[in-house]
Amino acid sequence: GALPKWALEPCMMGIDEAGRGPVLGPMVYGCLYCAVSFQKTLASLEFADSKTLKEEKREELFESLKANESIGWSVDVIDPRELSAKMLKKSKINLNEISHESAMGLVTRVLNMGVLLTQVFVDTVGDADKYCTKLSERFPSIKFVVAKKADSLYPVVSGASIVAKVTRDRALRNWTFDESAENMHRNFGSGYPGDPETKAWLEHHKHSIFGFPTLVRFSWGTCTTYFKDGAEVLWEADGALDEEGTANKNGKRQLKLSNLGFTGGKRNSEEIESSSKGRCKFFQSRKLEQLVQF
Amino acid sequence: MESNNGGGSAALIGSSGTVILSPPQQQQQTVDVHQLPCCIKSNGPSDVSNYFKPKSSGIEVDGGLELKEAFYRGRNLQGFTVPLPEGYSGFIIGKKNSNKDKTKKTAGTGKAPEISSNSSENHWETLAKCGNMTFWNHDSLPSQDDASMRVFHWFAVAKALHEPVSAEELT
Repeated sequence: GALPKWALEPCMMGIDEAGRGPVLGPMVYGCLYCAVSFQKTLASLEFADSKTLKEEKREELFESLKANESIGWSVDVIDPRELSAKMLKKSKINLNEISHESAMGLVTRVLNMGVLLTQVFVDTVGDADKYCTKLSERFPSIKFVVAKKADSLYPVVSGASIVAKVTRDRALRNWTFDESAENMHRNFGSGYPGDPETKAWLEHHKHSIFGFPTLVRFSWGTCTTYFKDGAEVLWEADGALDEEGTANKNGKRQLKLSNLGFTGGKRNSEEIESSSKGRCKFFQSRKLEQLVQF
Repeated sequence: MESNNGGGSAALIGSSGTVILSPPQQQQQTVDVHQLPCCIKSNGPSDVSNYFKPKSSGIEVDGGLELKEAFYRGRNLQGFTVPLPEGYSGFIIGKKNSNKDKTKKTAGTGKAPEISSNSSENHWETLAKCGNMTFWNHDSLPSQDDASMRVFHWFAVAKALHEPVSAEELT
């Protein structure tokens, strides 16, 4: 909609996250902003840290802040597929970097809407001072306050935490699986690795070849314990395979990707390594070899 | 598909076998074939279609092929589906068990089949056909320059090499 008039006054914003720790579902960054002059009224709205509130109360507060014309809000929902993919890239991106980028994305989005942001309160991720420096360098016109437990210290961050938490809960509740396998269900529990309901869900949904449904964050250490019974998968990005698709010498596994699925036979490592030697470059560079035995 | 360090493979070079491309009693099924940029240390059937869900992006990449996206074990895969060149067919073959009159699928044994030194056991037959192949990269756009794509260059070279040469062309 149109930009409210108060957005042209100096504004403050709070940023908080929901679903950073869970092994499944999206991670959500939420923000809430209002005019600095609205600060006192905001404090009277009784937003508390979303984690201390019951789900119903959070939903109720979310609806009331959505209806409040003196408040603006926005969310960034980071899909579990995106989280896993980024953290498992060839050059891996860690969760702190993803979190920082998401928070900065929200600041950019709100600034681009034309809101005059002058102060932004952020719950810290990693070292607070370093994070504050990073934010201040990116947005020199904004005064940042980065603090631990900002969600319980600043009402504007408490409000942001409600936005984030309600959005994450709804996303999980309404999750549509990519997979079409039978016997899947949505009793995820909290999604935290220690939650017995989450553990049971993971145990029930693990798959020897595919690992888990894409709802799960494959980059979480928790997953490794469930993969122990499943098929081992080697990736070039993990250093298990070199550029040629040949397993690293250190790994004592010599495999050619170009052969995978085409040869099932046991192959001598020397045979594979020497197979391209003395062959025409045309064949070498195309990973083609004459297969007499297969 | 683990390698062994034992010798003796050289002795097998030159052994022969047969590949039967049209089993008379079996209706040939056309299947999707995917080449993944990883090594899955398992052989056997799996419910691929329920778990592996490539999505079309609507974006054209190198050579006018459509970019596809999929996820496997948390990794983002980018790929394209390449039709086999005109005049070529793809076959999925499995080792034929000579003892029983039953096909022992390579893909169904649960472990890598042994290379048999007995050439009489080296008989293969068609399990399915494919008309195209989907090549996947981890974290990089598929391209005509990918090694898996460059394999197709052989077809043109083979054709030139094996084409009959007329007397005029020799002069």
